[in-house]
Amino acid sequence: MAAVDAAVLHARAVGSVPVPRAAERRVGVLFVATGIAVFAVMGLFGLVMRLTQATVLHVSPAWFYRLMTVHGAGMLTGALLAMMGALWFVLRETVPLHLRRALACYVFILVGAVCVIVSVLVGGFAAGWTFLTPLPFHPAGQWSTWATAVFLAGLLLVGVGFFVFCADVLASTTTTYGGLARTLGIPYLRGRDDSPPPPQAIAAAVVSIDGLLASAVGATIILALLGRTYDTGVKLDPLWAKNLTYFFGHETANLIMYLAAGVVYVLVPRYAGRPWKTTKPVVAAWLATLVLLVSAYSHHLYMDFVQPQWAEIVSTISSSLATLPVAVVTIYTGTMLVWGSRYRWTLASTFLYLGFAGWAIGGTGAVLDSVIPLNFRFHNTDWVVAHFHTYLLLTVIFWAFAFLAHVLEREAGRTAPHAATAAAAGAMVLGGYGLTGTWFVAGALGIPRRYAVQPPGTTGYSLAGSIFAMIFALGFLVLLVQFVSLARSAFGEARYVTVPLKDSWTGGRYLARRRRESEAEAPLPRLEGPYRLPLASPAQLAAALAATVVSLAAFFPQVVDASETSTRYTHLDNAGIFFFGAVLGLLLGSLPAVSRGLGDHSSLGLAAVVAAPPLMMLTMVPSIYAHFEPHPAVYAYYLAHNALLGLLTGLGATRLGLVTGRIAIVLSIGMALMFAGTAGG
Amino acid sequence: MPNRLSGSFPVSLHFATVQIAAGAAFAVLAVAFAAVFVLVALKSRADIPYEQVQTVGYWLRKRWLAVLTVVIVCGVGMSLFDLPYSGGAATGMTVVKVTGGQFFWSLVPDRVTAGTRVRFDVTSVDVNHGFGIYDPRGRFIGSVQAMPGYHNKLDLTLDDAGRYVIRCMEFCGLDHASMESFFTVTPR
Repeated sequence: MAAVDAAVLHARAVGSVPVPRAAERRVGVLFVATGIAVFAVMGLFGLVMRLTQATVLHVSPAWFYRLMTVHGAGMLTGALLAMMGALWFVLRETVPLHLRRALACYVFILVGAVCVIVSVLVGGFAAGWTFLTPLPFHPAGQWSTWATAVFLAGLLLVGVGFFVFCADVLASTTTTYGGLARTLGIPYLRGRDDSPPPPQAIAAAVVSIDGLLASAVGATIILALLGRTYDTGVKLDPLWAKNLTYFFGHETANLIMYLAAGVVYVLVPRYAGRPWKTTKPVVAAWLATLVLLVSAYSHHLYMDFVQPQWAEIVSTISSSLATLPVAVVTIYTGTMLVWGSRYRWTLASTFLYLGFAGWAIGGTGAVLDSVIPLNFRFHNTDWVVAHFHTYLLLTVIFWAFAFLAHVLEREAGRTAPHAATAAAAGAMVLGGYGLTGTWFVAGALGIPRRYAVQPPGTTGYSLAGSIFAMIFALGFLVLLVQFVSLARSAFGEARYVTVPLKDSWTGGRYLARRRRESEAEAPLPRLEGPYRLPLASPAQLAAALAATVVSLAAFFPQVVDASETSTRYTHLDNAGIFFFGAVLGLLLGSLPAVSRGLGDHSSLGLAAVVAAPPLMMLTMVPSIYAHFEPHPAVYAYYLAHNALLGLLTGLGATRLGLVTGRIAIVLSIGMALMFAGTAGG
Repeated sequence: MPNRLSGSFPVSLHFATVQIAAGAAFAVLAVAFAAVFVLVALKSRADIPYEQVQTVGYWLRKRWLAVLTVVIVCGVGMSLFDLPYSGGAATGMTVVKVTGGQFFWSLVPDRVTAGTRVRFDVTSVDVNHGFGIYDPRGRFIGSVQAMPGYHNKLDLTLDDAGRYVIRCMEFCGLDHASMESFFTVTPR
């Protein structure tokens, strides 16, 4: 591979870049190619919308909003899938991630995407990908309840896929690098460790913690809405719902960027010939990101004046401070690596480099929008569309292209022609920035977003945007041709090798193609022992026992009777019962004797953690438990079923290791509480 | 679907607006960043020892961090003195009850005299809407969400006489783009 790498990578990097195993190559290419295919289709839908706004096409508002809904959901899903695959590829060089779990993620997300497409294109669902409560239940005659249910189920499956991915990444990474603190580089930051993990591992740990949180919050609001589809008695608090929805949406969209950052930490050095090392600023930046990512979401609620003002102020501070890790560490270091490096400009490295610019420019637009007095005048104008398209289209999608080009160029043993690279990149930069530029101008002029019919006198911006989008599409077509050509070369390289031979009869020398013999792969690194138990010390076990005893109060007849005064209290009591079961499960599963009996079934544990809390919430709707309440024995069974689901969650969490297990149990209990807060009545 | 939008809309730049100032600042920064990336790309073909790049780069990074921190602290700090959130009683204000619904706005009263301090008490009867208000010259002067079950209160002093256009700023369904109404400010 070193000889092949010499043709595509920096001379200083050749020999030190690991050869990807077949599993990494296949998962990486499968995820990223699928993501790019989704991007292509959704991009076409986007062009149709822009041409409609320009009055060149005459798509009805009903269809415009369907396309808008599927475009938003599809683009985020495609970009998420692509970056998950790319990070899996680079992380698995040192961390033994589970292949089957990666494939399970892919299936969950693909089935979820199909559900979204069916609900929108067949069922007519058009409430936007943000499904802001209670719009899904006010369809204005445009869609049926089943379409809402299928759309929500689709998003839930996408969230499950992401949850499984994050759980596997976190469990494997923290086990490989010796616990959460060490994986995050905290001892190194404090001067107590001189061998921190590589930056992509730190990025992966941060992203997976926040990803688990985002998935849990997203699942909670989606399950509450799903409950509303079959029980109209479920009352959803719009402010609670908005908080949960935007937490989920903001986190997920942002995490795509940070997943991508982990990938470029590995790929850029291969073209710059300089290492991207873990330094104290890198560790500090990612620790800050861990917090800033979750505290910034409330900027989506700036114009909800009933939102507590402290939350808005925390959000504006967090949103602005989030600039520092990106601008001072990731983007800055990227340019330092490139400066004076004799950077190897290939198809892959060109798009890698261009992606940094998209993040810097789009991020600037986003930070301006996060300042409250400016947001007052930018909120839901085209300015918002402008900045998120800049960093999603011109950074994340560029990095998806870069990743696929990186794998294909290495496999093919050649780079794409420079003219083709220049044509593709040039057209996409011109088209991309032209497209987002028209939105920036339109946003500054106050033109609202998500309008099927543009206000009078403003269609010119849409027309200009459409022309730029078509220029981008031309560049994309050039890129696709290069991908196909590289894939064909890679296919040949993978199977055949050219060898010089000498004809025994004439003595002439010639080149012959021989079938390549399969090369031995580098062994997958082994985890050092099984996952650690979430509760290890006697004090921790005693604390769990105490929590279990205290939570027994949720079963007391007086508490159960008192909780029946309102739906919210009933749900809170059920959350308490679930808490009892979950903590009991955690306690039992952490006992060494029980743990040995349960065995090392981390996949089963993950399945329990993923399935049990949603099952509890899906049955926690008045139309189900109201039938049981008049019958004490039956109702007791219902309560016991909630405790049992908690028990399964707790036992499952003990199979996921110390870090992931603890986070999973906290999130599952948090989901039950958030559900009670949202679905009151 | 007929286009029912009838309000005037800006087709020329209004340099006085905050948005345009922010847009101009953004454009300057975007061009500056683009110039830096072009410069780095041009320098990428040179062969400079990384130790040398690191020495200068880390020195510069500390200054870059300091500049960004100062800009953020000052920018966000100053913005906190200009929050649009209303506080306290509506003493001396004209309260306008605003109700959004699919796909209409109801404003009671629907006119005030120029210079009046107005409190828009905004809610919704069905889904989330966005109460966006454009002045008689077509400038977007602010917005607040209309949420069912909640009342968001927006205080504004409307000095310019004329017809203000109300548009929906939160996607609310099929006729979202047509959800438009008017508010009149009569001369003193």
